[in-house]
Amino acid sequence: MSALETSATVSPRASADRRVEVKGLSKSFQLARTTIEAVRDVSFDVRRGEFVALLGPSGSGKSTVLNMIASLIRPTGGEILIDGKRVVAGKATADVGYVFQRDTLFPWRTVGDNIGYGLELSGVPAHERKERIAECVAQAGLRGFENAYPSALSGGMRQRAALMRTLIVEPQILLMDEPFGALDTHTKIDMHEVLLRIWEREQQTVLFVTHDLGEALTLADRIILFSARPGRIKDMFEVDFVRPRDAVKVRETEHYAELFQHIWHSLGEEFVRGRIT
Amino acid sequence: MRRHGALSTVGWQVLICAIVLSVWQWGYDLRTRLPWLVPDLLDPYFISKPSMIFDNFLIQSCLTSKLGAFNGWFNGDFGKCLARNENNLWAATAITLKNTFFGFVTGVVSGFVAGLILGRSDRLSAIFQPFITAVNSIPRIALAPIIVLAFGIGDMSKIVTSWIVVVFLVFFNTFEGARSIDEGFTNAARLLGASEWQITRTVVIPSTMAWVFASLTPAISFALIGVIVGEFIGAERGIGRLIIESEARGEASGMMVAVVVLMLVGVVLSAIIWRLQAYLLRWQRQRGAE
Repeated sequence: MSALETSATVSPRASADRRVEVKGLSKSFQLARTTIEAVRDVSFDVRRGEFVALLGPSGSGKSTVLNMIASLIRPTGGEILIDGKRVVAGKATADVGYVFQRDTLFPWRTVGDNIGYGLELSGVPAHERKERIAECVAQAGLRGFENAYPSALSGGMRQRAALMRTLIVEPQILLMDEPFGALDTHTKIDMHEVLLRIWEREQQTVLFVTHDLGEALTLADRIILFSARPGRIKDMFEVDFVRPRDAVKVRETEHYAELFQHIWHSLGEEFVRGRIT
Repeated sequence: MRRHGALSTVGWQVLICAIVLSVWQWGYDLRTRLPWLVPDLLDPYFISKPSMIFDNFLIQSCLTSKLGAFNGWFNGDFGKCLARNENNLWAATAITLKNTFFGFVTGVVSGFVAGLILGRSDRLSAIFQPFITAVNSIPRIALAPIIVLAFGIGDMSKIVTSWIVVVFLVFFNTFEGARSIDEGFTNAARLLGASEWQITRTVVIPSTMAWVFASLTPAISFALIGVIVGEFIGAERGIGRLIIESEARGEASGMMVAVVVLMLVGVVLSAIIWRLQAYLLRWQRQRGAE
């Protein structure tokens, strides 16, 4: 499972195609006079169009890493480059979309207006906006709910609307922080299908934070495993199931079971370590 | 079942009104027979009674010049009566309403803007915090005489009194609202490319609205109180002036007419705010659907 093994499946331009470079990233928080080291010296690259899962137990700093990439948190050390440009905390990077763990749909806007929010910000005229909202609404299976307020929707529908609100501006890099963590198993697998189909079509670069190994295996090309606090990269695994994947059927294959076992062992150690410390 | 419940609610309300009005109208007449039951306070000299209040209303509103005979709308008696009495009930209500409106609007707008600015800026709120606490500790109505002294007995002093009681109320609510904005919303907007101004317009203001509206119903009552107190202290026209004049004449029914008008005005203004709120915050109503 070395990185070399997959380089064959990527285009020869791969080295020039690094979209996200994370270099020696670390982060400490000050909490009531004690310093908590959340992330220690994390480095990795993500290629153009690659789907990477950041996997680890809670408290392993994987969300913190994602939030630093998203410019929401200022790193204590190290740097992040997106397309060669340095990420500055507090300044959103163009072309980067973010999907939150908890859907942050604006409750005072209808579902349609929530989805079209990004277009509104950039001044897309109303008639064009309407067309593109309609497309997204159809894609998310939310037809008939355009004029409903988010509070009237189920959790899965809300998260689909939130996903569309991010995707409508066509970001080339998608950061997702346990976006389906609050959903039940069935809804979650539905969402995996939705996300896989969109990703196959648009080929965004995706960084997907999760603590669910099954989810990481279903979706990702590569899994970066984080250790329990302080978060470091413990291991990396290539996930080489054929594309396009079926979110249900992929779990039935033997190869899935093998990989699951293999990674589970390593992840399990961190679960235990995280519990003791 | 529900429908029956609603009907009996209205039934009870009508019954309570009937009892109160009857006691008010005829209660004091029982005093000769049951002196131990009827308190002095029921004396019509102090609180008048419904029939006298109605008669007084007809006179003050120029609907009649002589009891038992209505002024004609077309023969000019109504118009002549209005012209004779500059502070007739209609003119007094209009002037009080006008000043209440201006006091309310200026108070809401300035309180909202100040609350938004200070609520979004840690630095400014830290600088102004002690001053605001100090000024807020003054019972604002105590400033009314000073305001009348400074701005004269015209409309301006009423508007300023009304403004000063409204502005703090709206300010504090807006301030709290702006402080308690869910960071998830502002982050989501920022990551979708919103500028600071766009965040203010599309996230801060809408999510503060619920807080602002919570202050508007008391604010409209406060605005009315401010104007009336201003009129008590010094005015040529207005409902407050009517009350003072009736009091000087020892005429309880005249005061009561003014009070009833104020009550109706208050009810109507609150209803308008309530409708406006139901429309602007309509997204909150679907909460129960979850």
